[in-house]
Amino acid sequence: MLLEAKNLTKTFGDQVAVDGVNLQIKQGSFTALLGPNGAGKSTTMSMLIGLSIPTAGEVTYDRKPRLGVVFQGSVLDEMLTVKENLDIRAGQYRRVPTDRVSVLSKQLGLTSFMSQRYGTLSGGQKRRVDIARALINNPDILFLDEPTTGLDIQTRLAIWTLIQRLQREHHLTVILTTHYLDEADSADNVIVIDHGKVLAWGTAAEIKRRYAGNLLTLAAASPRQLAARIDQQPMRMTDDRLVYDLATAQAAMDILVTNHDLIENFEFRPGSMNDAFLALTGREMR
Amino acid sequence: MMAMIKRNLLLYFRNRSGVFFSLLGALISFVLYLVFLKKSMLASWLQVPDAKVLLDNWLIGGTLAITGITTTLTNLSQLVIDQEKQVTADLELTDAGPLRLFTSYLVSATIIGISMQIVMLGIMWGGFYLTDGLTLTLGSFVNVVGLIVMSSILATAVNAVIIRGIHSEDSLGKLGTIVGTASGFLVGTYIPVGTMPSLAQNLVKFIPGSYVAALYRQFLMDGKLTTAFSGQTTARRHFEKLMGIRLNWSTLLTQRATYQIMGLIFVIAVVLAFMPKWWQVRRQRRQIHER
Repeated sequence: MLLEAKNLTKTFGDQVAVDGVNLQIKQGSFTALLGPNGAGKSTTMSMLIGLSIPTAGEVTYDRKPRLGVVFQGSVLDEMLTVKENLDIRAGQYRRVPTDRVSVLSKQLGLTSFMSQRYGTLSGGQKRRVDIARALINNPDILFLDEPTTGLDIQTRLAIWTLIQRLQREHHLTVILTTHYLDEADSADNVIVIDHGKVLAWGTAAEIKRRYAGNLLTLAAASPRQLAARIDQQPMRMTDDRLVYDLATAQAAMDILVTNHDLIENFEFRPGSMNDAFLALTGREMR
Repeated sequence: MMAMIKRNLLLYFRNRSGVFFSLLGALISFVLYLVFLKKSMLASWLQVPDAKVLLDNWLIGGTLAITGITTTLTNLSQLVIDQEKQVTADLELTDAGPLRLFTSYLVSATIIGISMQIVMLGIMWGGFYLTDGLTLTLGSFVNVVGLIVMSSILATAVNAVIIRGIHSEDSLGKLGTIVGTASGFLVGTYIPVGTMPSLAQNLVKFIPGSYVAALYRQFLMDGKLTTAFSGQTTARRHFEKLMGIRLNWSTLLTQRATYQIMGLIFVIAVVLAFMPKWWQVRRQRRQIHER
């Protein structure tokens, strides 16, 4: 394991922000920490990075790690140009090749605005520069704290594709926090966190299978008659509609085939990350 | 470390209006003095020969001391801003480490303090040269420049301790206003130390800038004082005490004693400023384990 966290706990006064989190991160993996606002994602991440000190528990790396971090807010200087910002950060590291900044600017598509002031860039451009900054020291692990929050859908997609490409091509280990469920969908590992605790852990598919049922909606002239024929209790029943929460698609097909004479129409929707997330964290607003 | 110093200087000088107002903050005592105080002070100095030029030099000394304090404080504010915006967290992940990072803020503040004092010296000297024909000997110029460097280092160290308790840009701005306003009185630039009530006179002795101002005045006024008070030692001592040219502990401080006091303040300030950083480094070392 590249990184292991055991019983990681952080309290602020009476408030428990992170409550006994255990994590194992494999070399080259892509992990998404998923959770609603205030779940403890960022606090967990800052303990993994070493920026905040755990109240209890420990973080262990299998070697001295080179870390790259993209912070939630901008940490570069608005008054300085992109090039100045990156050069200054590069100067803060030992053993950074002299062409590193120009290599990164080409790789991440920054060349057209290198001499522009950072403060005048668009949200998506700024994020790309932030990622370039995090990659200056050629890190083993790239941490990103809500890298796509506040960006439009096109930019989100572009940033996301960029991160995945970096992970594949450079064998980076990526750990990010997000509350966008579709993003967690494409991670190797999803860790659902809420109230400082790990609620679920696995691939997106596993989590969906475990926590999100498949919804089968049946339209029928006499729903009562139809319901009587089916063993399982419906989730909801209206005058013309029945909704079932089923474990598998196979179960849905069985119902459809045996009762096709009573069914006027149907809709089948496999469980989404949204369903799993709501099932795990509840519907309450934070 | 060089990269960080460059960054801080770039940030300071690229903010043109910031530089302008920082200079204006220092110039204000100079301008106010010319407009409001110069005439009445000259009137009370009638019996002193060369009063005009002596008074000009006296003011330059006090103003330079204030400039050193306020401009280094303004530049150190970058440290507070960086902490507030997580920039410090980002920087501490680099190979530089907290101690070197902290030092780079101090070095850039010192450089700013030196350059702004030199600019101020140029402006004031030029102004008084034109109006009163003020000249400066090479010897006192060299001494003044040396003191500009030393006072900037001292002011940076003392300010670094003061801003330790400040965690937001907003309260820092308020602190800046307080320091800017108070320093003119505490260093004895607006009114001569000797005319203050005794409580105020004692307070002045706790302000590092007072010793800096005293030394500036000694370097700038020495030649003129010797001719003005030729042989009249008691009168000269009285004048030096009154004007804060030499501060009075049990006796009037010699130049050497003044330097020693400044040195002591510097050492204490450096220890107080660096201690929490050093502590932080130790705690972080203990925290992350590697197999």
